Amino acid sequence: MSFETTGSGPGMAVLNFCRPAVQPIVAVLIATIVGGLLVLALGENPIEVYGLLISGSLVGVPNLLVTLQMMTPLLFTGLAVAISFRAGLWNIGAEGQMLVGALFAGVVGYAFPMPWFLHLPLAILAGFVGGGLWSAIPALLRVYLGVNELVVCLMLNPIALLLTGFFATHVFKAPGPTNKLPDIAPSAALPTFSVYSQVNAGIFIALACCIIFAIINVRTVRGFEWKIMGLSPRFAYYGGINVPRRAIWVMILSGGIAGLAGAEQVLGQYGAFYDNFSPGYGFDGIAVAMLANFNPIGVIVAAFLFGALNGGSGVLQMMTGLSKYLVQVLQFITVLVLAAQFSWDWLILRLFPEPPPKSPDAVEPVNATPTEA
Amino acid sequence: MPDASVPVVSMRNIVKRFGNFTAIHSASMDIRRGEIHALVGENGAGKSTLMNILYGLLPRTDGDIDLRGEPVRFANPKEAIALGIGMVHQHFKLAPSFTVAENIILGSEPLKSFGRLDRIRAERETKAISERFGLNLDPRAIIATLPVGLRQRVEILKALYREAEILILDEPTAVLTPQETRELFATMRSLADSGHSIIFITHKLREVLAVSDRISVMRQGRILSTIDNKNVTAQEIASLMVGRSVLLRVAKNEAKPTGELLLDVKGLTALGERGETAVDNLSLSVSAGEIVGLAGVQGNGQDELVECIAGLRRPVGGQVQICGTPLRPNPRGNREAGLAYIPADRGDLGLSLESSIWENMTVGHLGKFKAGPFFAATRAKQRAAELIARFDVRGATPDKAAGSLSGGNQQKVQIARELTRDARLIIAEQPSQGVDIGAIEAIHRTLVEMRDAGRAVFVVSADLDEVLSISDRVLVIYRGRIVANLKAADTDAEEVGRYMGGLDEEPASVGALPKETQHVV
Repeated sequence: MSFETTGSGPGMAVLNFCRPAVQPIVAVLIATIVGGLLVLALGENPIEVYGLLISGSLVGVPNLLVTLQMMTPLLFTGLAVAISFRAGLWNIGAEGQMLVGALFAGVVGYAFPMPWFLHLPLAILAGFVGGGLWSAIPALLRVYLGVNELVVCLMLNPIALLLTGFFATHVFKAPGPTNKLPDIAPSAALPTFSVYSQVNAGIFIALACCIIFAIINVRTVRGFEWKIMGLSPRFAYYGGINVPRRAIWVMILSGGIAGLAGAEQVLGQYGAFYDNFSPGYGFDGIAVAMLANFNPIGVIVAAFLFGALNGGSGVLQMMTGLSKYLVQVLQFITVLVLAAQFSWDWLILRLFPEPPPKSPDAVEPVNATPTEA
Repeated sequence: MPDASVPVVSMRNIVKRFGNFTAIHSASMDIRRGEIHALVGENGAGKSTLMNILYGLLPRTDGDIDLRGEPVRFANPKEAIALGIGMVHQHFKLAPSFTVAENIILGSEPLKSFGRLDRIRAERETKAISERFGLNLDPRAIIATLPVGLRQRVEILKALYREAEILILDEPTAVLTPQETRELFATMRSLADSGHSIIFITHKLREVLAVSDRISVMRQGRILSTIDNKNVTAQEIASLMVGRSVLLRVAKNEAKPTGELLLDVKGLTALGERGETAVDNLSLSVSAGEIVGLAGVQGNGQDELVECIAGLRRPVGGQVQICGTPLRPNPRGNREAGLAYIPADRGDLGLSLESSIWENMTVGHLGKFKAGPFFAATRAKQRAAELIARFDVRGATPDKAAGSLSGGNQQKVQIARELTRDARLIIAEQPSQGVDIGAIEAIHRTLVEMRDAGRAVFVVSADLDEVLSISDRVLVIYRGRIVANLKAADTDAEEVGRYMGGLDEEPASVGALPKETQHVV
């Protein structure tokens, strides 16, 4: 009297195999089509516009370098979000963590001059610590008081913006009209390579972080525990994984990496902490992480795509009458389609319905005892 | 007023299958106008399933339902409600932040022009209906501020507001205090006198005898009989409920308990989800080399007891020792102390259904695959493949998702994981739940082997046959207390069933239980 689930046919296997890659590709394709229709409605030729976007971001060394520059903060914030989401922690506060990290890096960068081989690592570390401290707030509230980390993270974003703004305008303000900290010492600067763009050594740190976390995820005990925790926290806790402690550290790591994005901006691109410098890299990081399916290597691909879109948008604005915000529309549509993964699950359930019922009153011991026929 | 001649509802030969699994074999019952009809049976007997079919929540596989002589087939509860069937679920379906009146009208709101809600009329009608049925309620009270008993009244009024004539109450007394229960019974009686028919699902026999006109007994998906509540004793109903089906006796030698207490619970008190005392100053012990079964009707504190031992719930009083180590407040500590725990809640607690089988088998064994910070995934997969073969998990490969397996094979995955741990105390909750007969025997044999290897086995099961066949000693839990401590060889289903129903509430022999426990050991 055993029952086999019918949801395990060959069709299911194919769908399952393709799913991780298919989903983001489909999302990007749909966004492209919708965006194209939008362009058409605005009276421009979509093929031309997409051609401009591609040539403006990928063709030619200067354009490619700008893309890499745009991609770097997204690598950090995307990775930060991916790590926490994979472990089931909804850290949507990468924006705030990045700002606090940037402030810390900016302060260490100008206030404590010392030899570069000490100063630069210390300033980067300061960025990590700043972001980590900021994310420790939702982590501790979550674990000790059961407060939803999503809400706290969200609320801490504007707080971080205003708080760092306060420091930049009142506490450590550089002389002059701009709301910024004093310029960092050259000993704390991340080296750049080209006059065409601000891309700097930070991109190597970002790529290294992605690769390290890819290895951690599949090859270490922690990575395994994070995955189990993310899929089923109750099961992980029952199975002897110290879920509360892991949760705190994952959040701190995630925040720290978001803080590195801030450090990279300050030490490599702007040369000082400026008030309100971020165009929302922390939020774009959520989109990048989702497009990457929380896979650190996927983050590299997704960040490159979003970086290219951002890089190409400048060219687009110059060459056509379209606003550069068209690119943001494309990005948001992508995320919107990705968020529809719930309906994907619904579709799977429709195609391959699960026969055994969940109702406990129905399943229990009836077939555990011999049935009188 | 009851008119005995024409049944209001007539269900004939209802069959319900979920896949290949038959939940209801062939159930027939008639409900008369103006009667209180009790539907009793053990958990899993199919009571709720049958009522969900009547209420339109589940489609039936076969059989007929007549309502006032007309054949009906409901696609959803809305259609059932329209024809005068109301159901109050065990877990209330109310919006806690809304008022009483808002909850009652929700779904059939009185409207003013332009679709605006007529709040005044809603409150007036709520007041009128609550007065008509003698159920005092303030229409403007917020649900969240009301005690459970009053929330239930809101549920009942909600059904009556939709002009329900047939009212299904699914274990309505499970959440009530004795006083609230008495009030509910008075309400039920007055409703019946005014021509409503009430179907009362329960497994508390005293309540059945106190309030019902007729009683239908359900077991293993069948209605065994419907009897008038005249000259019936609780014992008779209990033996009908429990049944005398053939026991699957497990071939095993006499237990040789060593007397070394691997599980020792003293005076444990724990609160349930609603803050009620679920485990009440409970003491028990399990020695190495014996299998102790805990029998009891579900909801008498066994879940809370096991959660305490597993470290998933904090007790408010008492001591627990696992293999001589005092209880710790998290699962990790207790597992390290020597606990292996096979939970009944496979889907949420015992397995991660989205994760692969090898991952499910590896959690709790991570130490074996550690090399510094690194993790030997290949070896873990190899071990999973071995366990799949050893425990005969059908249709499994290490990389398949655990959720793709059938219930019985999921059970084997968690059993394989837990029993291969180096743990001396094994707690198995509903070990054969959803498992076919062949697999049950294998599971039971494994548990007996574990016992013979000097481990202590504690089986918690709602299936009385299982408890009796596998245990060396049977404890019966009732309202959070151990009310009987019996040698399995010297007792039978009827005796245990009596204790389970709380019929022998003041047994002289159970007074000094801890002592007696040691005596049996």
